Amino acid sequence: MKLLKSFVSFTFPLVVMLVVFSIYLIINKVVDNYKQNITDDYAIVVIANTPLDEIDEIADIKVKSIEPIDRDKIIKNVQDNLSNTSIDLLKRKLPYFYKIYLDEFPTTTKLQQIRKELKTISNIRKIETFTNNHNKIYSLFLLVQDMVFVLFSVVLLFSILLLSKQIKIWFFEQNDRITIIQLHGGSLLYSSKPILKVIISSAIFSSIFVSLLLYFVMINISAIVQPEIVVFIPKVFSLDMEIVQILSLAFVIPLITFFGLLIQYKTK
Amino acid sequence: MIVAKNLTLSYDNKKNIIENANFHIKDKEFIFVNGSSGSGKSTLLKSFYGELAIRSGNLFVNKIDLTKKNNAKLLELRQNIGIVFQDYKLIQDYTIEDNIMLPLEIHNIPEHVAKEQVKKLLKHVKLSHKINAYPAELSGGEQQRVAVARALAHNPSVIFADEPTGNLDEYSSNVIWELLKKANELLGITIVVVTHSIPSNFGIKYRRFNIDERVVYEAS
Repeated sequence: MKLLKSFVSFTFPLVVMLVVFSIYLIINKVVDNYKQNITDDYAIVVIANTPLDEIDEIADIKVKSIEPIDRDKIIKNVQDNLSNTSIDLLKRKLPYFYKIYLDEFPTTTKLQQIRKELKTISNIRKIETFTNNHNKIYSLFLLVQDMVFVLFSVVLLFSILLLSKQIKIWFFEQNDRITIIQLHGGSLLYSSKPILKVIISSAIFSSIFVSLLLYFVMINISAIVQPEIVVFIPKVFSLDMEIVQILSLAFVIPLITFFGLLIQYKTK
Repeated sequence: MIVAKNLTLSYDNKKNIIENANFHIKDKEFIFVNGSSGSGKSTLLKSFYGELAIRSGNLFVNKIDLTKKNNAKLLELRQNIGIVFQDYKLIQDYTIEDNIMLPLEIHNIPEHVAKEQVKKLLKHVKLSHKINAYPAELSGGEQQRVAVARALAHNPSVIFADEPTGNLDEYSSNVIWELLKKANELLGITIVVVTHSIPSNFGIKYRRFNIDERVVYEAS
């Protein structure tokens, strides 16, 4: 019973930490997915007097492609109301339209920088960035992402405090055993092997539990979140990387805490 | 085996407990360290297994210089000695078998070999029937026999015993003395025993050191 109680005291903060971390990972994934979608859809339209030269990078963002907008199509749209002479004149005078696709979705600051840089190209007459709507949702997502990150940091801090407190209790409880083993030539690490065993089993249990929970949430996501949010969730949601991250965190944090306290115990 | 040169011991560098001790304990000797309560017998013994830092002078145990702080050397020393304490120092949540196996585990002895060794030792200390018991289920005398078996398990070159019979009745004390004598005579293990009373008619050759007023001297 006592063993179970101390196992739970250690595992509970670990599970809470991993759950918050999973939420952070999901939000990250959703934001990345949304970012990718708007990046794919998003293009800056520029109007140039002469054909535009190749541009590799603007404001440190790689240019994915520059696609010219078909001038004949534009003329076709308006030719019904124009005479042949006007159409000829329009063909000669009509500027060149381009869509510039970027490798990543620019922030507002980056956008100002892009405008500035494009304006330095002498033959560009007009620049249209169309970002207002996209930016609002994107900013909201970034805000949620930042908030969850702050929450995760706070939970991480408290979890480390609780984990270290429990490990300290274990060191105190095992003090006699550790002393006896050390008197027989066992190293401190060897003598604290039982503590390490509980930590590792707790990390295994927590990571499996949270990974299963994450998997369950993701396959039932449409039933859990609001329908408006579901559209932002990627259709194919691979959890491999997330599970590796959860597993790493479940082991790294308790082990670092353990070894930190082991050094403290040794110096005492 | 054990060489002390101008050895001075103290706790926290305050009052000296032992001052300028000089002695030489050879292999296979049986040594009693005698003295009144609080004379520093246990302190001297603690310094032999590196539990107490040396204030000044030199102390060599198994050719390891204990004046120098070296954790690896200290572990090496402790792996090659056996210690018997007055309060037995058995691990309460280990069975008797696990307690005796402890030094063998530290030596990375394969489990089946270690278990055989434990069985032999338990037979010697006449506790074979208690192999799966826990220390709390044993009497004081039985626990001390287990402690002696543990000290012998890895064939140490020396056994340090701190008041091994201090808490025991006459019968149990005699059993412990017999075990230590056999370890010395048959296995050639050096034995250093701290005690306030040496048993009469001990039956084997031994040397006795007395501690009086912080001075260690060999008694005739």
